[in-house]
Amino acid sequence: MSLAAEAGRDVHAAVRATRRRRRLDTAATTVAAGWLIVLAVLTLVSIATPLLDPYFQDFTSAKLEPSLAHPFGTDGNGRDVFARTVAGAQNSLVVAVITLVVGAVGGTLIGVAAGYFRGALDNVIGFLIDAVLAIPALLLIITIVSFRGPSITSIGTTIGLLMIPAFARVTRSIALTVRERDYVKAAVLIDTPTPRILVKAVLPAVAPALVSYAFTAMTAAIVAEGSLSFLGYGLAAPAPSWGGIIAEGRADLATAPWITLAPALALAATVMAITTIGERAKERYS
Amino acid sequence: MIHFAARRGVRALGVLLLVAVLAMSTPMMLPGSPALAALGLEATDEEIAAFNDKYNLGADPFTRLWNWLDGLVHGDLGTSIITDAAVTGQLAERLPVTLELVLVSLAVALVIALPVALRAAWRPGSVLDRVSQVLAFVLLSMPGFVLGMLLIYLFAVVLRVLPATGWVPFSEDPLGHLTHLILPVTTMALAEAAVYLRALRADADEVLDSTYIHAAQARGMKPARLLLARALRPASLPLVTLVGLNLGMALGGTLVVETMYAIPGMGRYVSTAIGQRDYPVIESTTIILAAAMVTATLLVDLSYRLIDPRIAHVARS
Repeated sequence: MSLAAEAGRDVHAAVRATRRRRRLDTAATTVAAGWLIVLAVLTLVSIATPLLDPYFQDFTSAKLEPSLAHPFGTDGNGRDVFARTVAGAQNSLVVAVITLVVGAVGGTLIGVAAGYFRGALDNVIGFLIDAVLAIPALLLIITIVSFRGPSITSIGTTIGLLMIPAFARVTRSIALTVRERDYVKAAVLIDTPTPRILVKAVLPAVAPALVSYAFTAMTAAIVAEGSLSFLGYGLAAPAPSWGGIIAEGRADLATAPWITLAPALALAATVMAITTIGERAKERYS
Repeated sequence: MIHFAARRGVRALGVLLLVAVLAMSTPMMLPGSPALAALGLEATDEEIAAFNDKYNLGADPFTRLWNWLDGLVHGDLGTSIITDAAVTGQLAERLPVTLELVLVSLAVALVIALPVALRAAWRPGSVLDRVSQVLAFVLLSMPGFVLGMLLIYLFAVVLRVLPATGWVPFSEDPLGHLTHLILPVTTMALAEAAVYLRALRADADEVLDSTYIHAAQARGMKPARLLLARALRPASLPLVTLVGLNLGMALGGTLVVETMYAIPGMGRYVSTAIGQRDYPVIESTTIILAAAMVTATLLVDLSYRLIDPRIAHVARS
């Protein structure tokens, strides 16, 4: 009887632990989604109204501490750091979206082709991917962006192009297994046109992994754009971007640390939020 | 095994060759000629030819690669357009700096990650486990330059115990060398430790649940010995991949850290060269960094079979 009671206690403890983890997960997801929604709303306010002007300079109020009028303080040129951080979020997110589109579309086409058709095509694609991955990504991004001239589209497409190998690897491995499923074999046997098989069978199988990986890719894009701007190869000077503002604030780290710390924490919080939601998506789709 | 190694080796050489041709094509990515940019529009044909000859420019990528390889055999990696110094000599000064940064960070990261991951996997759900998971998550969400700025702010501005930037050679001032090393190494090591911790923790969990571990435990084997002698090897496969890839990428990955802390290493060298369109430097460093990456990938591939002989069996059958 005592054994049974003990086993029962163990089960109860396990159930409680699972419930606690679920509650924590839900809370984390809510906070993460909340942060991204706040960011989106502020971005809209910044675009639609003149309330948050990232370029407005007032030299009489340079390096002001955070206050009600300036929640994140002001920088060395008297610009509002909060407005600049919000505008930086906008640039980061636009770059992330362009990156996602380029990387996911290109990577899916290449990965599915390699995984489904295999043979020589697979080998050639694998070889090219190895070559791209052999060069340090940041080095390649800096070179291409510096040569093409830094604009939001050139930064986004360049990071996106370098994201293609990762997307291709994810989709290739799934296309390989889908090919071996009975329903695909049957479709091939009855002479279903290949494009139809790809769209009706392979794409739906690839989609969940694609969605899960998209969140990781988005954070990688935000980090890459930030590093690029931090190194001085991103958007040109007055344009606000997280990496750029952090680098600008460096010289004033001792006298006005908020210029650097505010965008740095915003960047880290955004990456955390996207990762958290991505993990939920991964759980749901796998 | 030899057959496998040979096949992989040939493929790696092929990849490297392709990268080298691409690297030699960089001057073609921009309109205009570097010679005209440096000499001015009034330069005579002879002057341009001499300039192109000196800096190995002007020809098609294949010829230029051939010239570069010819120089490589003689220990000559070309001449910088901007400083007119030999690239070989400049690299010889910078490579040791980056290597030290990379190897010390790797050691620190492993010293943090290994015991914590094994201990956490031994007692899942313990305080150590939960705290280390949360910390790893936070660290993984921070790009190098964010973590670095926070560390600089905390230790150089608020506490004033460490220098914010700079680099002192060991031969000049050993203690100063060490104090300047702490912040950059911490920035790199913490991010790496988070990656290793996660990988090892996930795999150790699975390994610790296997029959032979339970058997060893039932026989009374001490946890420390059990973890290190029995569980570490099967659980370390992804860790070896990550460490290998990290070493391969590290030379290029120190770019941000070197710029942030003003360290005269490979990363800063090449990023400056890109801004100045210093083609001989860009090309030589790109090929060297790619060679490091390709070699690391190859070694990781080969070491798999040494760590886990079952992989070779599966591949054969």
